[in-house]
Amino acid sequence: MRAFGGCTLVGLIVASCLSGGAAWAEPCLRDGDRVVLLGDTFIEREGEQGFIETALVATHPTASLTFRNLGWSGDTVWADSRGVFDPPAKGYARMLALVKELSPTVIFLAYGRNESFRGPAGLAAFRDQLSTLCEDLRAATGAGASATRLVFVTPHPFEGVDAAHRNAALADYCVAIRMIAADQKATLVDLFAKLAAELPAESSATENGVHLSATGYAAAARVFAAACGGELPADFAIRSAVVRQLVIDKNRLFFHRWRPANETYIFLFRKHEQGNNAVEIPQFDPLVEAAEAKVRAAARALP
Amino acid sequence: MRCLIACCVIAATTPAFAQRGLKDIPPPDPAAELAAMQVAEGYEVSLFAADPLISKPLQINFDTQGRLWVSSSSVYPQIRPGEVANDTVTILEDRDGDGRADAHTTFADGLLMPTAVLPDDRGGAYIANSTELLHCIDRDGDGRADERRAVLSGFGAEDTHHIIHTFCHGPDARVYFSQSIYIHSHVETPSGVQRLNGGGIWRFAPDSLALDVFARGWVNTWGHVFDAWGRSLATDGAGGEGIYYAFPGAAYQAAVGTPRILHGMNPGSPKYCGLEIIGGRHLPDDAQGMLVTNDFRANRVCRFRLTETGSGFASMKLPDLIHSSRVTFRPIDVKMGPDGAIYIADWYNPIIQHGEVDFRDPRRDREHGRIWRVTAKGRPLVPRIDFRGLATAELFAQLAAPESYAHDMARRELFARGDAVRADVDRWLASLDRPGTDYERLRLEALRLKQGLDRGSAADIDLPLLKAVLASPDSRARAAAARIAIDWAGRIEQPADLLAAVIDDPAPQVRLEAVGALAAIGGQRATELALHAVDHDRDEYLDYAVWLAARDLRDAWLPAVVAGTFDDGGKPARIIFAARAAEAQEVVPWIVDRVQQGRLTATDQAAALEAIAALGGPTELRLVFDLAADPKTDPTQAASLLRLLVETQGRRRVRPAGDLAVVTRFLTAGDGPGLAPAIEACAAWNIGAAGQPLAAIANDVARPSADRLAAIRALGSLSGEAARAALVDIARGPDSAVENRATAITAMVAKWPEAAATQAAVFLAECGDSKALDTVYRGFLTTKGAAGKLAAVLDTGSKTLPAAAVQAGLQAISSAGRPEPELQQALTAAGSRSSGMAESVSGRHVMTGADLDAFVQQVRTKADAKRGEEIFRRESLKCVACHRVGDHGPRVGPNLAAIGAASPLDYIIDSLVHPAKNVKEGYQTLVVLTDDGRVVTGIQVARSDEALVIRDALDREVRVPTAEIDEESIGTSLMPAGLIDPLSREEFADLVRYLSELGK
Repeated sequence: MRAFGGCTLVGLIVASCLSGGAAWAEPCLRDGDRVVLLGDTFIEREGEQGFIETALVATHPTASLTFRNLGWSGDTVWADSRGVFDPPAKGYARMLALVKELSPTVIFLAYGRNESFRGPAGLAAFRDQLSTLCEDLRAATGAGASATRLVFVTPHPFEGVDAAHRNAALADYCVAIRMIAADQKATLVDLFAKLAAELPAESSATENGVHLSATGYAAAARVFAAACGGELPADFAIRSAVVRQLVIDKNRLFFHRWRPANETYIFLFRKHEQGNNAVEIPQFDPLVEAAEAKVRAAARALP
Repeated sequence: MRCLIACCVIAATTPAFAQRGLKDIPPPDPAAELAAMQVAEGYEVSLFAADPLISKPLQINFDTQGRLWVSSSSVYPQIRPGEVANDTVTILEDRDGDGRADAHTTFADGLLMPTAVLPDDRGGAYIANSTELLHCIDRDGDGRADERRAVLSGFGAEDTHHIIHTFCHGPDARVYFSQSIYIHSHVETPSGVQRLNGGGIWRFAPDSLALDVFARGWVNTWGHVFDAWGRSLATDGAGGEGIYYAFPGAAYQAAVGTPRILHGMNPGSPKYCGLEIIGGRHLPDDAQGMLVTNDFRANRVCRFRLTETGSGFASMKLPDLIHSSRVTFRPIDVKMGPDGAIYIADWYNPIIQHGEVDFRDPRRDREHGRIWRVTAKGRPLVPRIDFRGLATAELFAQLAAPESYAHDMARRELFARGDAVRADVDRWLASLDRPGTDYERLRLEALRLKQGLDRGSAADIDLPLLKAVLASPDSRARAAAARIAIDWAGRIEQPADLLAAVIDDPAPQVRLEAVGALAAIGGQRATELALHAVDHDRDEYLDYAVWLAARDLRDAWLPAVVAGTFDDGGKPARIIFAARAAEAQEVVPWIVDRVQQGRLTATDQAAALEAIAALGGPTELRLVFDLAADPKTDPTQAASLLRLLVETQGRRRVRPAGDLAVVTRFLTAGDGPGLAPAIEACAAWNIGAAGQPLAAIANDVARPSADRLAAIRALGSLSGEAARAALVDIARGPDSAVENRATAITAMVAKWPEAAATQAAVFLAECGDSKALDTVYRGFLTTKGAAGKLAAVLDTGSKTLPAAAVQAGLQAISSAGRPEPELQQALTAAGSRSSGMAESVSGRHVMTGADLDAFVQQVRTKADAKRGEEIFRRESLKCVACHRVGDHGPRVGPNLAAIGAASPLDYIIDSLVHPAKNVKEGYQTLVVLTDDGRVVTGIQVARSDEALVIRDALDREVRVPTAEIDEESIGTSLMPAGLIDPLSREEFADLVRYLSELGK
């Protein structure tokens, strides 16, 4: 126990050194960046909430950014939620293939919460697999000067009755994430350490102890913006409501593109029945692009 | 080129062949639809609501005010690129009580395929929204949702008629809902991720946010209802077994993660959707307690009668409540209403679902829908009550009303009132007449209220009441209380001891629930008690429950047994049962000790030996082997022990230690019960000394054929030239029967594929027996790489084959589930070299356009069902080798008992001509390559971490250990294409006619 306490302390120091994200010469987001968001329910629901994406678009108004949300509820660094009819390993491979196809320049990685339920016993495996995931993502997206930049996100703290002991476990996972981020000189979005400071007084971040409410996402957006070198005005959430709706609309279109319903009939083992409808799925691409153009235009028009 | 492209486009967009019968879609006039209904004697149907008030209803549920909530989707089955999902939930009201909806409010819109809606009894509702379970709240009471949030998310959408559905309130204040077979869900909750791959019923506690899987499996649990005692009954749209009894931990067809499943009560049933228990003053006496569900494919509303038996129920089908002649009548949900009438949601669509019909087929109806109301003629309605407007005391009074509807609504409203009514429960309970006729049920209701009003504090539980209901004179109350005890176990000292009072209960259903409760409570004491169930009779459900408990609680009992601290009450059978259930090899020394002490009863001794044979290592297996081989052992027991040892070899690849040649004793000792298992044992253990006696048996014409065939198969497992030579001799014939020759060739395939191929080429050219041909082909197709060897022999020798042999080969390939292009080409070439080859009949029944119309007409007007049945039963056609019609026969293909009632004529034709095109859910073929080169093709029966169980085309359940699976892929249909090719057009018409009349 003492050892873990020590770890946590070191982690916090490392984290504080990294804070701000601007510690590195490279800016977190540049003009023309294609951003992929990978993670669990936190990322998946961000697609329907849009706060974080809105903040990043708005704080980089002249950069032509695109965002592709590949969050999947319950997911882990092993892609436990992505197997569908196959074992997770195949889902993991499909995820890498999709990332390759999207050829992102920036990938946000938001894992650790679901893994943390295994407690200290699962920590080493998590750390190893997070490193492996980073390597696999880099291998899938190319190296060198144009190498994809990874941005690490720590899970926000648990709230509610069991929060104390769950956060004790989660803290260790956050340390692992921070150390990998530091090791890779990558930007860190430290929700675990910084979310509370962005919340309105007396507000909780989550609606059920694990998933952020709208208030929580709005606060998280501020942490993301700060980590990526931006700053949001106090009334940003209200001012940017129109942009946020456009972000949500775009994300819905993209969801139908990458996780279409009826996959069984369109692409998988019953495709002999409805496979002809596969032609419709790429038809979402221009719709997603048009929707994203609207997002950018609206973001630029923000006062 | 341009023409070709145009043709392709037409082919791709032409509506599926299966819907040809839908050319005459009736006009959507509710009056005409009503007129087309045949309604059971004593009942009448009226229209409660129709389009444009509502459209495409998917689920209906009443709230405590008597308003009907309807979820509707026009987006189903698939959102179009650019379409903004705007499906709705509507609230319907019948304010003037004339039996027709006169007010409607759109509660929520902007939804994506809301397959279910459940009022939360606080003005809001839970709504299924594809991948999410939404909670929508109406803050200002205007009937429109003001707040909407996902309370649970991460549900799969791999198939939109499988997405979460069938929401219902449990009597325990939980929300129950289902997902279907193709769905994979990963849901984050405050206490961790809950995953469910495949079908099952979830349960969710909105207050604590606890989510877990209540029961798993089924293809589509589109119906789920609780009876007055809180027992779950379910239906399956595709499982084909009618009404199912569900209890915590139960697993049914297609369950993922369990090696064992239970079965429904009405095998041979069609697909059912929706389920309700009917009753109350408005309905006649004979209707009380009946189950009502919908056979939407055959446009029927069906009834069942349940009787309690053992730890579960028996279910009997009764005549239909409604049968319509219109294809658009699609009853999919049924609920008892506030006036005592039965309400039926009619999805109204000529197209049933999306598997066999194009998503964009213009005949898909996207705008109509009806709610029908069924009343009993000449009987007064039940006075409608707004439960939300009742005083608390009146709500308690309603718990004793004659209608279950009133009990459910009063309970829901009391739950909704929360803490404010908690203190009233005791006062109400104390005021009840005891012993009143309904006292035991009412006291259970009081306990349920305490359960539902529980907010997790120590003071919320009522231990005295729980104990009192556990001691109720009514077994149904005791059983319900056992399940309730689980929720409170964490706040009770020694909770397992509470269940001690009911674990040996005389009523099997109480024991079933007690076992389940103890399994949920966990710990050594709970296991010691749960295993008491082993002392008593166990039917299918109860045996399953104890088996599951022993597996789930493995860590609680196994170390204690090994350490000698487990209290088995002096009944070793409990530990032996647990060891086998949990496949706990660590218990084997304990069991061996008991056997060697010689103090076991005969029954326990037999069970102990079986357990050792199933679980032991080489040394322990040797003990069993020696006993089996001992001439003094009872021959029947010896046979059963040998059989277990063979099974162990197959399952775990472990054999008894030492030289096993003495087993050949059985081969020369006449035809006792030990002969058959001994033959298998010789093969399994590769006993070289068995070659001679096996060959002798194989060639002994005086022996029964089964023994000879077994000996031939066994020879194929032995190493050495002698066995090969013996097989070649048999394969050559000509003295051998064709079956023996075919079996000998097959037996050679694994070890000597070239020799097998050489013999096969000769045999195929001269054999006219379709079954033997099939055996040979199957032998090559089930061994990796062997089909190529056969192809090479056919090619190199430029062999010729008769048409029948070619046809049989192509059929076998088609049902093998994986392409074998080399053999396919070689067979076709060998056929074309044959002089006097008859004109190919392959694909002769593929019909399109006017030709097909004429054929449909021929079936309707000229064909003969009786002749059709004779054709169906022809052995050469193989229908009866795979399909059953009713309760008996093989289970390889779907039961055809109701095919005619459920399927349009053209669908039947299409399925016969193109078997791979319309594969019924749950009948998708799985092709597995094993590490020893076997190819196993069949339908998945069960799957767990340890093993996959597949039903193959010969109706055998084949267990493949997961560790031995090299590769796995999904094939199409086990039914070969071209089976009907030998039929003339007239015969084909007769066959279709016969099938089309089944179930009508």
